[in-house]
Amino acid sequence: MDYRQLSQEILNRGKEKFQDLEVFIQNSKEIEIRVFKGEVDKYGISESGGLSLRGISNEKMGYSYTEKLDESSIDMLIDEAYENSKYIDSPDKEIIFEGSDEYQEVKIKPGNLTSIPAEEKIQFLLDLEREALGMDKRVSSIQMCAYQEFQSERYIMNTKGVDLSDNNSGAFVYISVIVKDGEDTKTGLSYRIFNDFNEIDYKEMAKEAVEEGLSLLGASPIESGSYPIVFKNTVFSDILSAFGSIFSADQVQKGLSLLKDKIGKEIACDLLTVVEDPFLANGFYSRSFDDEGHKTMYKKIIDKGVLKTYLYNLKTAKKDGVESTGNGSRGSYKSPISIGPTNVYVEKGDKSLEELISSIDKGLYIINVEGLHSGLNEVSGDYSLSAYGYEIEDGKIKRPVNQITIAGNFFETLMDIEAIGNDLEFSMPMFGYVGSPSIKVKKLSISGE
Amino acid sequence: MLSQKLIENVLHAALSKGGDFAEIFVEDKLSTRIRLVGGLIENNISGRDYGVGIRIFDKLNCIYAYTNDSSEENLIKVAKEAAAALKSAPMDLTLNFLKGNDRDINPIKIIPSTVDKKNKVGLMKRAYEVAKNYDPSITQVIVNYLDEDQKVLIANTEGVLAEDRRVRTRFSVASVAAKNGEMQEGFYGPGASMGFEFFDKIDVEEVAREASRIAKTMIDADYCPSGVMPVIMDNEFGGVLFHEACGHGLEAAFVSKGTSVFANKLGQLVASPLVTAIDDGTIPNGWGSTNIDDEGTPTQKNILIENGILKSYLIDKLNGRRMGMESTGSGRRQSYKFAPTSRMNNTYIAAGDSSLEEIIANTEWGLYAKKLGGGSVNPATGDFNFAVMEGYLVENGKIVKPVRGATLIGNGLKVLELIDMVGRELDLGQGMCGAESGSIPANVGQPPLRIKSLTVGGRKEDK
Repeated sequence: MDYRQLSQEILNRGKEKFQDLEVFIQNSKEIEIRVFKGEVDKYGISESGGLSLRGISNEKMGYSYTEKLDESSIDMLIDEAYENSKYIDSPDKEIIFEGSDEYQEVKIKPGNLTSIPAEEKIQFLLDLEREALGMDKRVSSIQMCAYQEFQSERYIMNTKGVDLSDNNSGAFVYISVIVKDGEDTKTGLSYRIFNDFNEIDYKEMAKEAVEEGLSLLGASPIESGSYPIVFKNTVFSDILSAFGSIFSADQVQKGLSLLKDKIGKEIACDLLTVVEDPFLANGFYSRSFDDEGHKTMYKKIIDKGVLKTYLYNLKTAKKDGVESTGNGSRGSYKSPISIGPTNVYVEKGDKSLEELISSIDKGLYIINVEGLHSGLNEVSGDYSLSAYGYEIEDGKIKRPVNQITIAGNFFETLMDIEAIGNDLEFSMPMFGYVGSPSIKVKKLSISGE
Repeated sequence: MLSQKLIENVLHAALSKGGDFAEIFVEDKLSTRIRLVGGLIENNISGRDYGVGIRIFDKLNCIYAYTNDSSEENLIKVAKEAAAALKSAPMDLTLNFLKGNDRDINPIKIIPSTVDKKNKVGLMKRAYEVAKNYDPSITQVIVNYLDEDQKVLIANTEGVLAEDRRVRTRFSVASVAAKNGEMQEGFYGPGASMGFEFFDKIDVEEVAREASRIAKTMIDADYCPSGVMPVIMDNEFGGVLFHEACGHGLEAAFVSKGTSVFANKLGQLVASPLVTAIDDGTIPNGWGSTNIDDEGTPTQKNILIENGILKSYLIDKLNGRRMGMESTGSGRRQSYKFAPTSRMNNTYIAAGDSSLEEIIANTEWGLYAKKLGGGSVNPATGDFNFAVMEGYLVENGKIVKPVRGATLIGNGLKVLELIDMVGRELDLGQGMCGAESGSIPANVGQPPLRIKSLTVGGRKEDK
């Protein structure tokens, strides 16, 4: 049975129990390749997907899902969603959307991933691994050398007339090298996110990873204290991404975001502008409609330090008496609708990374943080993260530093930004596709020796 | 779940272009997740995960494919597509399925799907009331309920044809305390490989009080000092120390490639002689227990470190080949969407002979980490980090005040040598462990113990 037919059948049959219903389908095809010591270590191919049903009965929304997509699942989906709806007692008005008047087209440069034969992708990894291993005697082995590619499609169909679909594709290449000097072991990494295979260069990646690893050899902690910090672009974007939920209207309404009552107020240094652009060319999360079928839109979340808007889906927008910002999002067909960002980035400033570094007498350039899932609290804004990077002395990189933590409060950090670089870069997509230039912060607590 | 004939045909198709091992993993899982926010049930979602993974080994190379469509036609097609990555002659194959599963280490009394949702919701509301009314500073409470019933079938060309059923239940409360424009969160989330009878074992009101107690304690806490100091870690989730600092580094996925700091160290002293560490997949009804692992090998109790000496790694089939060692029953995966690899089940440091009171009384100045949050590690360097959810400052052998916002960092090889006191009261805590083969339930555990010196990342600089 094809998806459209199956969806129609579910909507028809579900009408007996629900006022309105919606079917959401996600399918994806993936390829994963890993090499180790000149051989393909893992080769993975897959095709999978799932279907979620949600329906409103007595103003309550029930959800169900299945990965077994056939006629036999229809009754189970309807019965489960109906049963689940009975226990909802949140008074918020649930909405199955009738669709936006128009949707702005996303202009994505078409990728060429599917037309590249697997052999070429394997060869790329083999070249990458060989290049990295041969670059320096101190490269002892490769921790990971991997390629991952996906093609996904999304369908939303409901009884209010929404009938939308789109697709997305992308790939990652990742290499992590291990370098050793005696007992001293460090890792260096490099990755690329792309949609056009010709954009990536294995020599450049190998060099990046090996140089990073080597530059960290001999690292030691720095004396505990308070120091000015330059965050590498991808580090700041990872931290911003990890704190993404502070902008969610849902978190604000539930009293779980300290940005409550802060619209129109200054919450960051006036150099900082944060944009959400769902139409970004090559944006990993570019899309013209959100997971509720609402149109997406370009917006400034923070404009010159002032908070302009929260991110809304239909339900939270109705509660605040505003329009949805097109941020209705589900982690997958297994999750209910919540709120999520698309492509979000900090607008670039006018300083080069070198200028940011040279403005510091004694401080740190942080190139990696760990523990983003555990060492920060979105509710309080507090964070304390394991980090490594380099000590800056008299405006120059002096030596590698590791086994330290950086600690602060994100809301204070936003205020403490002193300069913004011109080197905007996006990091690996997790909660949205988030980018930032390198950023200088007045001071943070460092725990080291 | 699939007929034996179909399984045989798929395994034959998988080895039609060479390779020396093929496996099929079938999963059918029902789950229910209910979320309560501010006293009201906000989401209630249930569904079915269903799919098949096919894996082929050609010496040390692994091919993995998965699909949701378990029709014979499609499975043969997927097996052949996977096989197409190999270019050799078909392997001669005689299938003789002799290895099944007749264990039942996680007996289940009440299958969750047979319980009226009203009862599940009722427990959540009771917990909410208790958590919310714990203290006026508690401004928000979120309660999550999860149950899952996973049926798997695993068959391979080495004669395994085994089924297992994994029923799990988890109940968690997150309380938020607010004061003077600041917020702090407390979390407690016990779980077990049990059905609804889990709620005869735990008291949801106690879970609620614990979450609110932590939030309330932390909102009144000062920032934690930073620097290097002795750290006392309490039992239960304190075991995340060993999990991150050492457990991941003992996984064959890293050891077999020489990319772990613990590679080539069997038989060597890698920890203080006070440390004995165990990974046990057979603890009855344990959160990380299964009868067989996700490769069909019966789970076992593995002594990893005995009196400081490294005794064993955690080994799956593929990495076992690379190492020339047998599987330790440690091949795990989140779902059919992941090829299995070596993972932990229920990992803990064994009990010693000090009491928590003695350990604190013997500490002149340092941090007592009563509850820990999550963490992570780089197995190649051994550098780890984890968060302290509830901490206290210890001065002159006494707990003086709560402190917040600390992260602990260190190096796995070094930290185990620095354990200088090990307590008596062993307890386990439940977590979700994320790695290459996905997110899986795992117990961590330890008795209270002390690390002579560890870097504490706080926000207060002066001591």
